[in-house]
Amino acid sequence: MSEEILKALTQLYAIITKQDGGVTDTERDFVITIFKEDLDQDSIKEYLALYDEFVGYGKEVEDEPDRKKLTSVKDSVKTLAICRKINKTLTQKQKVVVLIKLLELVGSDRNFSSQRMEIINTVSEVFNIVNEEYKLIESFILYTGEDRLDKEDLLIARKRADEELQFTKQLEVSISGELIFLKVRSVDMYFIRYLGQEEILLNGFAIKRGLTSHFSHGSTIKTPVGDALYYSDLVRHFLSEVESVSLSFVASDLQKQFPNGAFGLRDVNIAEGPGKLIGIMGASGAGKTTLLNVLSGIDMPTAGSIKINGVEFFSDESEKIKGVIGYVSQDDLLIEELTVYQNLYYNAKLCFADFSEEELEKRVMSTLANLGLDQRKDLRVGNALDKTISGGQRKRLNIALELIREPAVLFVDEPTSGLSSRDSENVIDLLKELSLKGKLIFVVIHQPSSDIYKMFDKMMIMDVGGFPIYYGPPVEAITYFKAATNQVGADKGQCPTCGNVNPEQIFNIIEAKVVDEYGEFTNKRKVNPTQWKELYDTTHKPEKVEEIHELPPRSLKIPTYLKQTLIFAKRDLLSKLSNKQYMLINLLEAPLLAIILAFLVRYKNSPDSLSYVFRFNENIPVYLMMAIIVALFMGLTVSAEEIIKDRKILKRESFLNLSWNSYLLSKVTILFALSAIQTILFTVIGNLILEIHGMTLTYWLVLFTISCTANVMGLNISSAFNSAVTVYILIPLLIIPQMVLSGLLFNFDKLNELVSTKGKVPVVADMMSSRWAYEAIAVRQFKDNEYESKFYDFEKDEFQADFKSSYWVKELKNRLNHVIENHKSTDDATAAKIRGNLELIKNELIDEAGTSVVNDIDLNIACDPTKFSTAIGLELSRYLEKLAQKYLDEYNLAVQKKEKLIYGLEKSFSYDLGDIKNQHYNESLADLVRNLSSKERIREFNGRLLQNVDPIFNVPKAPINSINYRTHFFAPVKFLFGATYDTYWFNLSVIWGMTLIMYLTLYFELLRKVIVAMEKVGSKFARKEKL
Amino acid sequence: MEIINLEGTEDTPKIILDKTNKIFEISGRSLPEDSAEFYQPVLSWLREYAKDPLPETIFDFKLEYFNTASSKLILDVLTALEEINNAKVHWYFYEEDEDMEEAGEEFSELVDVEFELKPY
Repeated sequence: MSEEILKALTQLYAIITKQDGGVTDTERDFVITIFKEDLDQDSIKEYLALYDEFVGYGKEVEDEPDRKKLTSVKDSVKTLAICRKINKTLTQKQKVVVLIKLLELVGSDRNFSSQRMEIINTVSEVFNIVNEEYKLIESFILYTGEDRLDKEDLLIARKRADEELQFTKQLEVSISGELIFLKVRSVDMYFIRYLGQEEILLNGFAIKRGLTSHFSHGSTIKTPVGDALYYSDLVRHFLSEVESVSLSFVASDLQKQFPNGAFGLRDVNIAEGPGKLIGIMGASGAGKTTLLNVLSGIDMPTAGSIKINGVEFFSDESEKIKGVIGYVSQDDLLIEELTVYQNLYYNAKLCFADFSEEELEKRVMSTLANLGLDQRKDLRVGNALDKTISGGQRKRLNIALELIREPAVLFVDEPTSGLSSRDSENVIDLLKELSLKGKLIFVVIHQPSSDIYKMFDKMMIMDVGGFPIYYGPPVEAITYFKAATNQVGADKGQCPTCGNVNPEQIFNIIEAKVVDEYGEFTNKRKVNPTQWKELYDTTHKPEKVEEIHELPPRSLKIPTYLKQTLIFAKRDLLSKLSNKQYMLINLLEAPLLAIILAFLVRYKNSPDSLSYVFRFNENIPVYLMMAIIVALFMGLTVSAEEIIKDRKILKRESFLNLSWNSYLLSKVTILFALSAIQTILFTVIGNLILEIHGMTLTYWLVLFTISCTANVMGLNISSAFNSAVTVYILIPLLIIPQMVLSGLLFNFDKLNELVSTKGKVPVVADMMSSRWAYEAIAVRQFKDNEYESKFYDFEKDEFQADFKSSYWVKELKNRLNHVIENHKSTDDATAAKIRGNLELIKNELIDEAGTSVVNDIDLNIACDPTKFSTAIGLELSRYLEKLAQKYLDEYNLAVQKKEKLIYGLEKSFSYDLGDIKNQHYNESLADLVRNLSSKERIREFNGRLLQNVDPIFNVPKAPINSINYRTHFFAPVKFLFGATYDTYWFNLSVIWGMTLIMYLTLYFELLRKVIVAMEKVGSKFARKEKL
Repeated sequence: MEIINLEGTEDTPKIILDKTNKIFEISGRSLPEDSAEFYQPVLSWLREYAKDPLPETIFDFKLEYFNTASSKLILDVLTALEEINNAKVHWYFYEEDEDMEEAGEEFSELVDVEFELKPY
């Protein structure tokens, strides 16, 4: 207290006591005792002198019998001035204490004249203390035990309760006299007075008879017979809420053994009812967090059971107690991009499906107000580096997130770590208040200050190896351990002068080390954990609580899956939108890449080298692949961190049992939307620069599809791995195979024979979405552009007929001639070749005709090497001639038709076919899809001839097996289940199918499970090696 | 505005609040039974007056005695005057009444209103 205030108070005492007959010695002595509380000996003299001067002590009282004794107006105004001064510096709590002192002062000699009381009343008014409360305090202090005192905020403890009291709470204890408790509601303070002859100890000190003492957090009262009254127990009598909560929490014989055989917990027994704040302390590694995790049901105990209101954890019934438990972890589980209000609002929305918007807002605001966060509600939460709210406020918000759904049992892991002492006290104070409202709260606490330590109702102390070595009132822990080691002053838990406790003492005692003969500490402990545990078991009997069997109350009502999805999506979207950097990069990425890519590959390429013509841009095939890779990359990177980032929030929300599917759907929706935007930007800009006409939608659909697949793929890895770095290292592993097997970089026919099938796309490549996308886009671009779409059907006939007549028939003829010339040879090698050739001829002709008998030749007989003769050979030869002629005719017909069409088109003057071709037809792409760069036109593979050129015109034959979808690369159509599909749509469907499958693996978290299983095997292996 | 005109008694002061005639005065002895209730109309009147005050308001206090409870209310009245533009307090005291003079001085320090101490 400052000198100024002390002086002011001294004056105030003087003004009051000099009224009505002046100060008596008793009153002066009382002033001295007040001074003693705040001042040292020298200052007391100084202030007492000041007091004497003000009050006129020792001076003769002037006798003025004629004048009515009235307070002088000067004193009245002086009083006002003093109170105003006090108002500016002291807190409301301190003012209440001042008021109580004033009342006690006049009470010390029981001189309650009207002038004196009027002054005190005015003081209380200026202090803004409500009149009823003033009256309450007054009656509390003036109470002598003779009259009857019946007020709500009082509690009287005595031998026998007075049945006629209606409001005053009563407690029967074996003491002589009365112990009165007062609650000053507005400041939430408690005071006590004792009227009796015994020595009642408050925190180890005798209460002076009749005097008022502040009954602070964690205080203990001891009666001469040894009964103890604890702060929390007494305070509970003043709170009505507690009684309405029916709760029992019983953990019996808990044990937890880790996979490596070490014990995390042994023989833990806890039995508690509602409205308790229980601390868990212990040296590091003693198993505090393990205990908290087991008690909260995050980890399963190896043995023992935990029951809330008789419902056992990890049983079939455990569904009934969902939402009853809240867990506040040590880390901040907040969405950094959202504001304080939004964090809480969306959390509440997920908890209370049946609340209206107003109810929800009210609930959020009242929770924020309760935690003192209402002024900060619009601040962004931020993170440790980008701070907008303080550590204490973050912690309180974390607690708020759990509190809003009002769990009956709350577990809090180290809520004070990293907080300033003031913030720590605020947080614990908040928890204390909640416990007083009926919640059962377990808190792991580390190095608590004296005040915090005393706030707990009970303290559980753990020792290394998971041994519980103390479980009881916190201050008594100190006396218990002191007594156990025969220390001096064992009966006093706290400092006799300041009332502080030193929780560190406990650990110094527990972990005291044996000293060797040189006076050095050894590593051996004086008392090991087992001995501590045994000692505790012999001195303490486990308390029992009444087990309750009705279900605990819960207000949780989870929204429907669809609503959850919407809430998740909205929350996610908001947090993304508020992250400006993220939004900017994501939206700029696609246009920038499109500009860079398209700009680089656009060059003056027309035959006269003066302008850019799409038709002659040789980079188009590569550009298409790059576009696909860009879409893949963007899709992957944007999603790869999504789940990892949310994991902590998911952990918190796991107590709500929300739908994983809804969560994933919300992610997918947002990511798909983002992908749609990114790919449309890319396509539009890229196509504009490269002058690709009429294909925007075609390209976009492919790129969007591939980006979506990448999104889901990214979510898969994001859900499976636990760090963003791992995920980003993985991305090349996913992208590079996609590039290699896209079909452009390496020819599918020229891959390792283990994977490739000649004439078909290899199965490994079929697993790459890039290959489907590339084929789709290339086939569509070539076949369906404005130019080619007019000619494709004719050209298909033309080039197929050409191939048949000029390559296929020719090849067959060559082979037949070889057979005719050599069929009589006895040379083994030649015979084998003949067999091969005959088989090939047979296969090709049967396939061509669709029957084994052509031109009255039974191919099965004709191509049997044993039955082959020159005559048959010649007959086959004639047949081939015929086929050649047929295809030549077809070819001529197709060419004719095409030319007619061209002639017709060119005649309409507005139409320049050359221009159209320049704008829509790309020569390089045509070379690619017609495979014109290949030297071989036809190849033999597995007894068949394969067409190597013009895959784009080569309509594959419908397969016999209806689920066989495989064709050559760039086939214009695909088959499945006996139907024919356009390649573009077929391929897009395949990619969406992949997306769906990956969504399922994501939903079931298959990848994560595989990785966890692998890690288990790995760790087992490692352990074996150690042994 | 209506006029407040209370005749003084042994325990209550005389009060005139008259906007039209520019008279604002509290005088005599103030030790009413319930001072808060007694001064309530005065405070309400002043709040109303503050909305549309005269260009200058001179408030006269001519008190012989007031008790502690009244002192709080007088302070409230003075605080209400803070809200009125151009309000002035004329604090009259009997020449030999040092207490009343000192009380005036104390009051003048507690509020932000122009004070003039006038002996009579």
